[in-house]
Amino acid sequence: MKMFQALGRMPIVLTAPALAVLLVVFGIPIILLFLTSLSAPAFSLANYEAFFGQPAKIRVLLQTVEISVVATAICLFIGYPTAYLIVAASKYLRMALIVLVIVPYLSSGLVQTYAWTVIIGDRGMINNLLLDHGIISSPLPLIYNRMAVYIGMVHIMLPMIILPLVSVMMGIDKSLMAAARSMGARPFAAFWRVFFPLSMPGVRSGSLLVFVICLGFYITPAALGGLGDAMLSTIMASQVQTYFDTGRVAAEAFVLLAVAIIVLSMLGLDLSVTQGRTAQRAGKSWVSWLPSSGGQKRYRSELIAPLRAKRWTAQLYRAAGDGCWSNVVGAMLLMVVMFYLLFPGLLVVVMSFSAGKFLTFPPLGLSLQWYRSFFGNPSWYAAAWTSIQIGAMVAILSTMVGTLAAYGLSRTFPRLRRILTMVILTPICFPVIVVGIATYLGLVKLGLLGSMTGVILAHTIGAIGYVVVIVSGTLANFDRRLEQAAKSLRASPWKAFMRVTLPLIRPGIVGGAVFAFLHSFDELVITSLVAGFSVRTLPLKMWEDIRHHTDPTIAAVSVLLMVLPVFCLIVLHVVGWRSGPSSQRALSDHRT
Amino acid sequence: MMTLHLKNTSLPIAEDTEDEVLEKHLVPAQIEFRRVTKMYGAVAAVQDLSLLVHRGEFLTILGPSGSGKTTALMLLAGFVAPTEGDILIGGNSVGSVPSYRRDQGIVFQSYALFPHLTVGRNLEFPLEMRGVKAAERASRVDRILERVHLKDFGGRMPSELSGGQQQRVALARALIADPPLLLLDEPLGALDRSLREQMQVEMKSLHKEFGITTICVTHDQEEALTLSDRIVVMREGQIEQTDTPEALYDRPATRFVANFMGEANILENPGFEVESDAAPPFGTVAMLRPERVCVAARAATKRADADQRQLVTGIVEDMIYAGPLRKYHVRAGNSVLIVREHVAAGQQIFRSGDEVRLDWLRSDVRFVTA
Repeated sequence: MKMFQALGRMPIVLTAPALAVLLVVFGIPIILLFLTSLSAPAFSLANYEAFFGQPAKIRVLLQTVEISVVATAICLFIGYPTAYLIVAASKYLRMALIVLVIVPYLSSGLVQTYAWTVIIGDRGMINNLLLDHGIISSPLPLIYNRMAVYIGMVHIMLPMIILPLVSVMMGIDKSLMAAARSMGARPFAAFWRVFFPLSMPGVRSGSLLVFVICLGFYITPAALGGLGDAMLSTIMASQVQTYFDTGRVAAEAFVLLAVAIIVLSMLGLDLSVTQGRTAQRAGKSWVSWLPSSGGQKRYRSELIAPLRAKRWTAQLYRAAGDGCWSNVVGAMLLMVVMFYLLFPGLLVVVMSFSAGKFLTFPPLGLSLQWYRSFFGNPSWYAAAWTSIQIGAMVAILSTMVGTLAAYGLSRTFPRLRRILTMVILTPICFPVIVVGIATYLGLVKLGLLGSMTGVILAHTIGAIGYVVVIVSGTLANFDRRLEQAAKSLRASPWKAFMRVTLPLIRPGIVGGAVFAFLHSFDELVITSLVAGFSVRTLPLKMWEDIRHHTDPTIAAVSVLLMVLPVFCLIVLHVVGWRSGPSSQRALSDHRT
Repeated sequence: MMTLHLKNTSLPIAEDTEDEVLEKHLVPAQIEFRRVTKMYGAVAAVQDLSLLVHRGEFLTILGPSGSGKTTALMLLAGFVAPTEGDILIGGNSVGSVPSYRRDQGIVFQSYALFPHLTVGRNLEFPLEMRGVKAAERASRVDRILERVHLKDFGGRMPSELSGGQQQRVALARALIADPPLLLLDEPLGALDRSLREQMQVEMKSLHKEFGITTICVTHDQEEALTLSDRIVVMREGQIEQTDTPEALYDRPATRFVANFMGEANILENPGFEVESDAAPPFGTVAMLRPERVCVAARAATKRADADQRQLVTGIVEDMIYAGPLRKYHVRAGNSVLIVREHVAAGQQIFRSGDEVRLDWLRSDVRFVTA
């Protein structure tokens, strides 16, 4: 009890477990990695010179940046109008659209990449349809080129840009648009002068997020691209898996990291310029948009908020693009984007029930043979079981450590909070391949490479970030006076936490746990580096199968992988719904 | 144009001299609501609303929340279109004119200052939209900033201003382009009491100076009484009464208005006979404002005008001291009357349980529809 009271005075101590895990598995290794890249005791730039001395490597680096920039630009170009239309839609339609964006966001990138190989592969859906109808005589080269890479990457990244955009746009006070129009601004002028500048934080955070993920995510380019579309991360991963010159790979990792940091700081500079303007938003770092849960809460509360006299603002908002043509164009765009987001997944679901011997579309008949094959093949269900075990352990560990850290952060002063939050979030801000290589090195030092514990630790460092973001979001809405009230009613700090704080932030904690589990369950890049030969997770097994032979069992596995996030979404919904609305309604009743 | 479709209208010209009556009729009404109805689904937010607003008038639409007052304002602003009926501004129908082509200034309840623009840029916005040149914009911004006592605030961000300052910027932004019509949506709702009183004076003087037709929506009856030339009281989407502030307070037409415009003693089966000069109209109840009632010791000498007064005796239940006022709750017959008197030196103070005599002028009794 004494100790707990002391902790109450020194809340920052609560972040210690999270920081310790981070430091051992990721922090110290990345410093070592940096020293290695400088050929440590000797300190030379030989590794970097070697990198920049190879024109091929430089070409790959430029290509990596190019692909990331183009993919980000396409995402922004499609995502911005989509987000705008979602926000402008009526309340229930908006809820539905957001769910339709969240589902692909939560499903594994591997599954979606796999779906594209089924659609645009040489023996995929499109080529098969065209061949069957005699329109072409030999398969079109749809896959294994740059176009395919963009199609696949944008498909995965689009929800990641739409969700922060929607979140920011929903926060824009609608009466501002009304004000602009009352002052004689035409709809476009009102949009351009008022709405667009206010949505910039979403644009910035969304595109940064997408850009950095593109830099490190090699699965899609490797699966859909040709030999000429290699990303730096692809080359790094293959080096780790085959021979391993630590110094060289370390140098490559830091070159990639430098690109990410340069882009971040460029947009970071921009942030400081406009700091006065967007005072309240500038403080939020871009990573705070990562998981959609904070936003989700807002969508939920919007749904349950009693109908008020605010109706007119909603109406006028929608009228922003009045005229039936713009409505038709908007509806069409939304339909096309939703089709693009959801069709690959739906296709895989259909294929998984195919009765044919190969993955063909349309399927020849219906059967459960591939599900039987999944449950009949020990290598599949053992992998699934491994993944579930790892995911559960990661969820438990990161939720405990992350919740403590979030609570500690919420009770400390803002500057320290911001710095420590950034530190805790580094594993999910850095290009994933860099994190993977650092973790590899860390686990080697710990002697845990290729063990379950090692994989759990590797997943936990990222998962802690998600838990901290989500729980912090919930804690930010938590009224601290409630805890003070409890203490004034003679509850000890521990009792006050257990009886008042914990029940109120439970939705955030459950949300964090679910995200941590999903993060672990889908993780492939880091896992492929640290799992060795003995640990086989489901994504690893799938990845190998996709590359080597296309056993249609993958379709069945994919469906199981897609059902999981939907299931988690329902869990979140149930948990959040019960405690969210009632408490919020109670508060709003109080205020009026 | 001259026909009024008002429910329960005591004529606004009741106390005007003949010349003023003539003048008001010569100046054409600037705004007219013609049997306007706005439906939200099956709910009528505004129902069959007809209203004339004169040029240069300060008109307040007053009502509790949900009475349709904000919808009325938004119909006028062009943010929502009427389901039925028409709205005319300067004799022209504006039903289909979008808000950005209407020349009007609006002060929003939340002020709606653009958070990403400085005060100066906020003020320039309406001028820019009207194509005013940069040099003139700057001089007009300076002028209006001086007028609202925010001379050196042009470079600040709205978030760096206090509530009262934000309010003045919002007002300046609405006025800067000299629109013929100013709409105010609960303009003082977010300010604390002393600031609100200060702003009321300020707004009154701005209105006088600009001579702009102003329509204000509020639920605060004190604000309405202070600012307005005329007040429209709304209830459940319909107009309850339209009148000058004095008339509305002194001669409410309905029980709802009597209660909404300050405290009222409704003498419904009071347990004593209410005397009055004229016979009460059918379907009405007697109403008496608390400050019209005098309280005295039971044995006090009769007043000089005692023959014009009604006397009742009662027992003090409660005394509430509120600074300049003292309020008694007195049980008389089977009702409890509220009595309000100004605190003055040498006054006798009654405590609960004291027997007192209440009296009031028969001419002060009003009859309101129940």
